[in-house]
Amino acid sequence: MKEIGLHGRGGQGVVTAGELLANIYFKEGYEVQFMPSYGAERRGSPSNAYVRVDEKKVLQRYPVRIPDEIIVLNATLLHNLALKERGIALLNLSSNSGLKKNDKVKLFIVDVNKIALECKLGTPVTPHVNTAILGAYCKISGDFSFDSLKKVYEEKLGKMAKLNIEAAEKAYDSVREI
Amino acid sequence: MKKLVLGGNDAVAYAVKQCYVDVVSAYPITPQTSIIENIAHFIAKGEMKTRFIKVESEHSAMAAAIGSAVVGSRVFTATSSQGLLLMHEMLHWAAGLGAPIVMANANRAVAPPWSIWADQVDSLSQRDTGWIQFYASNSQEAYDLLFLSFRLAEKVKNPVMVCMDGFLVTHTKEPVATFEDEITDFIKIKDTPVFLDVDKPEAVGALAFPKDYMPVKLEQIKRISSAKKEFYNIAKEFEDVSRKEYKPLYTYGYSNADIVLVAMGSNAETAHLAIDLLDKEGIKSKLVKIVMFRPFPKDEFEKEFKGAKKIVVFDRNISMGKGGITKDEIVGALGIKNIVGVVCGLGGVDVTEIEMANIAKDVLENKITEDIILWGEK
Repeated sequence: MKEIGLHGRGGQGVVTAGELLANIYFKEGYEVQFMPSYGAERRGSPSNAYVRVDEKKVLQRYPVRIPDEIIVLNATLLHNLALKERGIALLNLSSNSGLKKNDKVKLFIVDVNKIALECKLGTPVTPHVNTAILGAYCKISGDFSFDSLKKVYEEKLGKMAKLNIEAAEKAYDSVREI
Repeated sequence: MKKLVLGGNDAVAYAVKQCYVDVVSAYPITPQTSIIENIAHFIAKGEMKTRFIKVESEHSAMAAAIGSAVVGSRVFTATSSQGLLLMHEMLHWAAGLGAPIVMANANRAVAPPWSIWADQVDSLSQRDTGWIQFYASNSQEAYDLLFLSFRLAEKVKNPVMVCMDGFLVTHTKEPVATFEDEITDFIKIKDTPVFLDVDKPEAVGALAFPKDYMPVKLEQIKRISSAKKEFYNIAKEFEDVSRKEYKPLYTYGYSNADIVLVAMGSNAETAHLAIDLLDKEGIKSKLVKIVMFRPFPKDEFEKEFKGAKKIVVFDRNISMGKGGITKDEIVGALGIKNIVGVVCGLGGVDVTEIEMANIAKDVLENKITEDIILWGEK
């Protein structure tokens, strides 16, 4: 089983990202479980969601404790997050910001704030980075095809699908390892 | 059948959409709100021909549901925690009148302190209102139980509550096999009684003097007591369409188990993994999941406990001054002594398979012999 943590701040679309990701894996034929973590429902406060992916039915009914991989929509949360050793962290950052390549975890960065605004998703204060960052995750995880992502966005996002797919494509192309 | 990724709330709303419901009257409350939001959305889009009655409180929601039911409508409502408690008086009215209302309840802790997370004391403290109670431990069960509940409620003329642990079932999304047209014949059978008819004026809710009170109550006892037998019949019919078997108690593991783990709601889902862990250690165990809590499936428990050395009951609920409620119910019905109750996970605290397996092992080895009131807290 693979356990993925999605972490951001209220308003960035963490919960939607988790649901979309679960649906993408489901489309690829996996058993999935999407578990949002509810608490303070307000803009700016930390927001977490978890996706479990497995070949067989997922039965755990409690949040993921230490994820195998994390998708971080707001890098200011980084020092509070748990991640397994040799796990993968995908971060919304425009530059290394002092992070260095190391043996403990694999770090990837992508500037989805910029991409979201280029694609007119959200506002400069709260760019909607959730759909773009999943495009980058598609590339680095190699777990699912971009086509599955595209189909799920088309099914779930209606008229907004086109811009969100465009954002995901840009993130897919620009994500890089530190 | 079509598989969709749904949470318990989505699954319930989707089932209601397919159940030819005439009236929905409801008031929002976390973590139930997305049920009625989804339903309102379906109605607004013209996908459901249902009258949605907006009310000012849960007490009124149930009053409107009763009013709709006594004129022969198929009625649904949903609530949670404080909302369910506010309905309490009306719950007795619905059951006493034999109004076949189906209600979903998101199990949420009761204040104080305020909490929105999973805990079953809200619906278990409605135990004596006369409602049939089911507990779903995943989205699929929540979906399927809705269809079964409408048929059962109307067959026995008794309201039914379908409960799901808040967030752990209501908001946790997973693949659910949903029906297309194959369920139509099953669910179109509508057997709603008409108590009030303008062409034949009568009243409901009259005063009963002592000599009349007990006969009326006897009728009510007969109605809810017949629910278990009727559930088997309706579940068989449902199985023919869905290929899914529903029974008052669900089991997983060894039939000749030394230790039996009993759980209800989300804990029962995680408990499957505890059975697998115990199996790896060579311990023969079995999960007994309570699906139907009222009427209480006494005979089924007796059968499942036969030959077991020890029984451990995990309760995400508590009766203050007593202990876990389902454990107490089991002891009350069966009078057994080789049983230990564990109160755990109140207010949404995590309960893991490792904890469950370790406790079960300690109970089997007589290291735990007394009830644990508040596992994890000292």
